[in-house]
Amino acid sequence: MPFTAGRVARGRGPGVPYTRPVAIVEARGLTRIYRLGQERIAGIREATLAIERGELAVLAGPSGSGKTTLLNLLGLLDTPDEGVLVFEGRDVSRVSDRERSRIRRERIGFVFQTHQLVPVLSAEENVALALWIRDLPEADCRRRARAALAAVGLEGLEARRPDHLSGGQRQRVAVARALVGEPAVILADEPTASLDSETAERLLDLFDALNRERGVAFVYSSHDPRIVDRTPRRLRLRDGRIARDERNGEAA
Amino acid sequence: MTLRWWRLAARNLRRHLRRTLLTGSIVVVGFVAVTMTAGFVVQTFEGLKKATVEGLGGHVRILDARAEGKTDEEAQGYLLEDWQGLAALLAKDPRVLQVMPKLSFFGLVVKGDRSIGALGTGTDPALEARASYVKKIVVSGTYFSSPDGDEVILGSGLARAVGAKAGDLVTVMTTTPEGALNALDATVSAIVSYPIKEVDDRLLYMPFRSASRLLASVGKAHTLVVLLADERQSDAAARAFAEAARAAGWNVAARTWLETAAFYKQVRLLYIGIFVFMGLVLGIVVILAVANTMTMSVFERTREIGALLAIGMERSQVRRLFLYEGLLLAIIGTLVGAVLSFVLRGVLNRSGIELPPPPGGTHGNLLFIRFFPLAYVFAFAMMTFTLLVASWWPARRAARLNPIEALAHV
Repeated sequence: MPFTAGRVARGRGPGVPYTRPVAIVEARGLTRIYRLGQERIAGIREATLAIERGELAVLAGPSGSGKTTLLNLLGLLDTPDEGVLVFEGRDVSRVSDRERSRIRRERIGFVFQTHQLVPVLSAEENVALALWIRDLPEADCRRRARAALAAVGLEGLEARRPDHLSGGQRQRVAVARALVGEPAVILADEPTASLDSETAERLLDLFDALNRERGVAFVYSSHDPRIVDRTPRRLRLRDGRIARDERNGEAA
Repeated sequence: MTLRWWRLAARNLRRHLRRTLLTGSIVVVGFVAVTMTAGFVVQTFEGLKKATVEGLGGHVRILDARAEGKTDEEAQGYLLEDWQGLAALLAKDPRVLQVMPKLSFFGLVVKGDRSIGALGTGTDPALEARASYVKKIVVSGTYFSSPDGDEVILGSGLARAVGAKAGDLVTVMTTTPEGALNALDATVSAIVSYPIKEVDDRLLYMPFRSASRLLASVGKAHTLVVLLADERQSDAAARAFAEAARAAGWNVAARTWLETAAFYKQVRLLYIGIFVFMGLVLGIVVILAVANTMTMSVFERTREIGALLAIGMERSQVRRLFLYEGLLLAIIGTLVGAVLSFVLRGVLNRSGIELPPPPGGTHGNLLFIRFFPLAYVFAFAMMTFTLLVASWWPARRAARLNPIEALAHV
């Protein structure tokens, strides 16, 4: 199904033309409630935000503030109980599981806290896997995987399996996997949590470079000041709500 | 395109090589058990079939239609008239190798002051020697020397009971179909050891012409036994014989060897029952073992599956990945099983292991396991199906995982 081009409706039906610059992903009043027995716990409440093309944003806040919940909703891994989620101009709040998989596969890249690579595949195969699931020809998958590995500085390590790579290299393979499908946005959940300071710094430099050179938007969730302080847009969450939306240190 | 998924499945199987080998060995043992048992059962069926046909002396039995459904004793009174004419008619059929007349009677074998009941058969010595195993089971003396000599062959049990040995003179007494008592002095030409004890204790053969005189039934026969070139044509030939005979004026019934082989049918049913039961038990064992392995694999790879689902892998692709692992295990297991089955069959067939006699039998046979290709196909299909069933639930469980929960799995 083609995405609605160029414009998104705010407060209207899905896919209706509008005059604002298009956001890659836009949340309006997103709420996610978890049920724990009789108790209802709000993971996120009435979150409203828009991530523009080429943007670099961080969901910041302490543990339990709702960062990961919001990131999961933005990444179509979860469905909101209330509110609207628009992805590239299309209301995707209630689309089928299959369709959400397709959008994730084709338009979103993921980097997890730990790399989550397949241990029996080489670095190149792990990256190619993101294209295998799209049923693309093998030669094409391999060529693009090698290019993605080169882009994250892992040229020459294509044949190595994850257990023969350092923690930082593994996370770079994970970034290459997220990048290889040419997504509109890469969502990274605590990407530096398992890395030492130097490796984390290098990974963040890589994110910056990819954002700058390729125009791919990045959204992190993190409470790591190393990430928060250097990210131009900071969405500060507290108790499941977006408490403050800062751009370059100023409230948006 | 699917090759990459097979490759990935193969590598996933190698993750826990020891566990995969253990599960694979269950598949191998299952395959070997099925093929070996099937080979043994088929060999038993073939042996029993051969023994049944040879015991009868042919594949199709022609008898007076009025004797149908009668007890053996009642059937004694119904004889085929002009059996030579009927035999000549049947022999024209190109499927026929020979037509052998038979006379049956209940009688007494008398030697000195001992007289023992016997089941007598009058048969053509030359034709009998060709069609049945009577000549092959002679344990003392020699087979009939002429087609019309006053000779008898006795089962070893009967000979022992009456106290006769080869070369002795005995008297055979019976009643003719008309009810007159008749007797014939005959020399015991041979003693045979019949494989079924109950028969061996009553068995008596004599040349057809002698039996004709004894029963005062010259030119008549109770049955004609037709030996065919190909056993598989028994049904069609029996129908054709009955029609041809009726058209020519004989009121006859034609029965195939299988229709008269109650023992063969019972043994066959018993063996098939055992085989099916064994297959079910094996199937359950394989399902449990493989399902356990796959479930553990899904459990251990939960976070990885969560990541795959998160990056957009279809649930059907996840399911297929685990099913491929199960299928691959089936393919490799059955290939190894086939090789092992061949080797083991060769070893056992050369080992000279003697099996105990079958129920009611007097001789054991050497263990022989036949190569039965259909069993290999069946075992492969069974293992593939079983492993698919065993993999289905874990694969389904993997495919239905919630990626968020799976990624948080510890």
